[in-house]
Amino acid sequence: MALLETINLVKSFGGLTAVNRVNFQLEAGRIVSIIGPNGAGKTTLFNTLTGIYQPDQGQINFNGSSLVGLRPDQIAARGMARTFQNIRLFGEMTVIENILVGMHAHLKQSPLQALLRLPAFRREERESEHKAVELMHYVGLSGVGNELAKNLPYGAQRRLEIARALAADPLLLLLDEPAAGMNPQETEEVTHLFRHIRDHKGITILLIEHDMRVVMNISEQICVMDYGEKIAEGTPAEIRANTRVIEAYLGRGAVAGQHEEQR
Amino acid sequence: MKHFLSAINVRELLRPLGQLLLFSLGSAVVLSAIVLTLALVLDQTTVGQHLHGRYNVSLYTYTLVNLPQVVIDGLTIGFVYAAIALGYTMVYGVLEFINFAHSEIFAVGAFVGVEILIALDNTGILRGASLGMAYAYLIFAIVMGMAAAGALAVTVERIAYRPLRGAPRLVPLISAIGVSFLLQDVIRLVEGLTTGQFNRIMPTFGNFDQRLNLGRFALGEANIALGISVKSIIVITSAVLMLVGLNYLVNATRIGKAIRAVAQDRPTASLMGINVNRIISLTFLVGGLLGGAAGVLYALKFTRIDAFVGFFPGLKAFTAAVLGGIGNLTGALLGGIVLGMLETFAGSYLGVFTMGAAGSEYKDIFAFSILIIVLIFRPQGLMGENVGQKA
Amino acid sequence: MTTPFSTLLLRTLNKGVLPYLLILVHIALGSALVYTAPRSNLAFLVLISSLFTLYVLKADNRFKLIAGAILALLIIPVIGVRNIFYLEVIFQISVFAALALGLNIVVGFAGLLDLGYVAFYAVGAYLWAFFGSQQYFVLPFAPGTQPSDLPFLLPGDAFYLFLFIAIIVAALTGILLGLPVLRLRGDYLAIVTLGFGEVIRVLANNLDKPLNFTNGPQGITPIQRPTMPDWAVQGFNDLFGPLIGHTVSPADMYNLYFYLLALLVIIVIIFVTRRLDDSKIGRAWTAVREDETAAIAMGVPLVRMKLAAFAVGASFAGVMGVLLAASRTFISPESFSFMQSIGVLSMVILGGSGSIAGVILGAAVVTILNLQVLQGFSLYLSELRQSEAIIPIINFAWRDLSTQLDPAKYQRLLFGLILILMMIFRPAGLIPAKRRKRKLADDQPAAE
Repeated sequence: MALLETINLVKSFGGLTAVNRVNFQLEAGRIVSIIGPNGAGKTTLFNTLTGIYQPDQGQINFNGSSLVGLRPDQIAARGMARTFQNIRLFGEMTVIENILVGMHAHLKQSPLQALLRLPAFRREERESEHKAVELMHYVGLSGVGNELAKNLPYGAQRRLEIARALAADPLLLLLDEPAAGMNPQETEEVTHLFRHIRDHKGITILLIEHDMRVVMNISEQICVMDYGEKIAEGTPAEIRANTRVIEAYLGRGAVAGQHEEQR
Repeated sequence: MKHFLSAINVRELLRPLGQLLLFSLGSAVVLSAIVLTLALVLDQTTVGQHLHGRYNVSLYTYTLVNLPQVVIDGLTIGFVYAAIALGYTMVYGVLEFINFAHSEIFAVGAFVGVEILIALDNTGILRGASLGMAYAYLIFAIVMGMAAAGALAVTVERIAYRPLRGAPRLVPLISAIGVSFLLQDVIRLVEGLTTGQFNRIMPTFGNFDQRLNLGRFALGEANIALGISVKSIIVITSAVLMLVGLNYLVNATRIGKAIRAVAQDRPTASLMGINVNRIISLTFLVGGLLGGAAGVLYALKFTRIDAFVGFFPGLKAFTAAVLGGIGNLTGALLGGIVLGMLETFAGSYLGVFTMGAAGSEYKDIFAFSILIIVLIFRPQGLMGENVGQKA
Repeated sequence: MTTPFSTLLLRTLNKGVLPYLLILVHIALGSALVYTAPRSNLAFLVLISSLFTLYVLKADNRFKLIAGAILALLIIPVIGVRNIFYLEVIFQISVFAALALGLNIVVGFAGLLDLGYVAFYAVGAYLWAFFGSQQYFVLPFAPGTQPSDLPFLLPGDAFYLFLFIAIIVAALTGILLGLPVLRLRGDYLAIVTLGFGEVIRVLANNLDKPLNFTNGPQGITPIQRPTMPDWAVQGFNDLFGPLIGHTVSPADMYNLYFYLLALLVIIVIIFVTRRLDDSKIGRAWTAVREDETAAIAMGVPLVRMKLAAFAVGASFAGVMGVLLAASRTFISPESFSFMQSIGVLSMVILGGSGSIAGVILGAAVVTILNLQVLQGFSLYLSELRQSEAIIPIINFAWRDLSTQLDPAKYQRLLFGLILILMMIFRPAGLIPAKRRKRKLADDQPAAE
């Protein structure tokens, strides 16, 4: 059974249908990309999956149960973690604290334990702090645990967001343009990181990305959206050859190469 | 001449008038129906007997007799709220910011108008003034009140809000609360130093306090006398004029187009060559002008003003703006009228219906209850559109 | 961020034993000044500011603790009973500090602007005012018509129990009020909480009919105090009598007693605040303040965390309400106006929202400005009014100055100025909040 499945998913704002009858299946353990021109509804799809928007119609099934009607925090607790297109860290908190917030749903401490500093509380805090440092190192950050998140350079902020999402021990990781604004070397590094996350942590990855080098390099399956609809799905090779996709990108008088740089 | 007329968009001028009529009639009819039904239902219960024992009339008759006056009073205060609410809604529409100090801008307008009239009164020219001159003096006071309030609103924006543009939402709001408090005491300070008095009283002149009898007719056992004071007519007329003028400015002029552009998308508007700072200043100016006029009208209607006079009307006008759908001019009108009506109805009938346990003293928190209910069940307001939260 | 100058100053002062010396000298100087000149405001300021010195200078924590304890438990009581006005000022600082700490949880930690915070204070105060007075038996009487020989409902010592009941009742009120409105956006929330504050005040004013719960605008009095054992008064007089120079009456001892109670409550509040702040709840609060959407997407239950902030903040105010009602033996709706809410907000903003030391400093500064500076200025003006003095150039006789001009009544001006100036020039406050630096043994910075 698929880890994530949407059936006839619809989300509209006023007259604009941002996600239109999208049927989509994601098998566990894969790396899948969603591509499409700006305004195709990719981020809205993410927001609907994670519960920030409620779908107008349709079903979302995740790991055997429906997500429709759940709040974002409930969905997160079921194993879906995400990053944001325009980095959304907790700027006035330290790097470690940002990662600890990601663990929120897993921490068992009660307010009473926190007030009395019971041994169980201290152990949990120590262990989670330890795990946070590990995650920080895992995404390639070191020595910045006590820095405020807002003071990190751009690339490090993107990495921290990934670490924060990983802290929730998710089954599925949603990455919204994770390579945006990175230079080729950084892009290379995070691509490697994503593959490592899947291979060694067993986390399924769904990403939105404009950088075709990343998409073609990493994806095992690509889903193409245009005007809120899913217009194609397949392996990178299939998508490259798909006429509808080429139309969606080229039909607007743009050149494919320009699109890759358009950010 | 012909050319000039064609340049004026008559439809835009007339549209709000129709809406006003609709809202006023609509809320009057709905609320009247509700209280009359309640009166009928309660007539045979202890509530009816209680009233009968005191005034020797049935609850239904009592309700009916008072109804026309309640509607007229409700409309008058509703129009005052609507005029203030326009200031909140203009600024919110453009900046997504609650100008908490708007209530004090209103108060300053009231004080400037009243002080001018008191000064004129002291020279003695008000008492002997002809009717025409009396109106001229009143208009002069209103214009001066508007000018002062407009200038103040622009200054406040410049000093206390502009440096904070782009800061987290609560930062300018806290600053606005500070301005509100500061201005209350500055008014008190200035009044204390110059006049030594806490309350100021609007001088009596002209025919403003006269009551026009609109008729007297028998209905069953009761006589219904319908009357409206001249000042209520002035308040309603001026408010209508302001609403029409503002609607025209925003929807049918070049400046209005620029204001709407800035409200929609500030960076893009700026790229299109619109001077965003100037438009924002202008928005505050317009809001201040309306607030100042509303202040003088309020003083005319309620006579006594003090430094804190703006607080409750301001909060209620904000409630009206939210009720109608903040950012929406027509919504502010609707909200003001509905709130004014609701409040007057509650103030007039709550005491009777609850046998005196809860009366008009709860009038002021009535508005808050409405605000809370609206925000919970329809946060976009009666006329607002549901705009999805940006993720 | 501290300004470069103050950083530099601190760096020069924090060398070797210098800070220890400075703290001791400051405390000793303040004590001596107040002891020799019990009526001088300036002397009092010198003494009270030694707390600030104690906080900013670097010294061993044990030293600080002992110095603070001596100051709070020995010096202040002695000088306080010598001049009861100081004790009143310090008591008010403590009350407002507790309120500011509570509001700090809501505004500073969770980022929710609550403009009706004193409503919870009112809940606590009226709770004890009702149960700790004769009001229960006054229920059927309109204000002013009750017979004079009514009994009290509960003994005065029930006060201690009500300190705890107030925590629960105020927290429940916070949850009840918060439940419908916490989904609202920040600026709407501010206005709605303002409305709630007004609702509570109007209720306090008008719930004298049909049943007389609150006694209306006249307020409830007398409210009982807990009993104070004779040996405590006796013991204090035996111990400190020589230092003070006269025996202290039980009435004055009550002031001291309530000061110590307030101090205890504050210590508990600081303890609770710090421990919550350093747990997943505190992190969730800050995350919600920083970015609601990101927080909820990370699994933080938004509404529950906001409710928790409301409840904790409210409970602090509730406790202080009970304490206030008992210490004043009288309460009326006047003490719970919108202006009070803004006053507490200005303390939080001035000191530094989110910063415990900051809001206490804020409470102290605003209260001192209110009680000493503004009132002192008022006294000065009324002296001038009675004199023959004239302002030279404009030939204005002070005698003619309007009596409306009474600086003590210009608190709004003060609060307003604080809010505006802080927002424009120092939004993080006098002592900005700092995140705790963790000792991360396994995260050494890369060698440079």
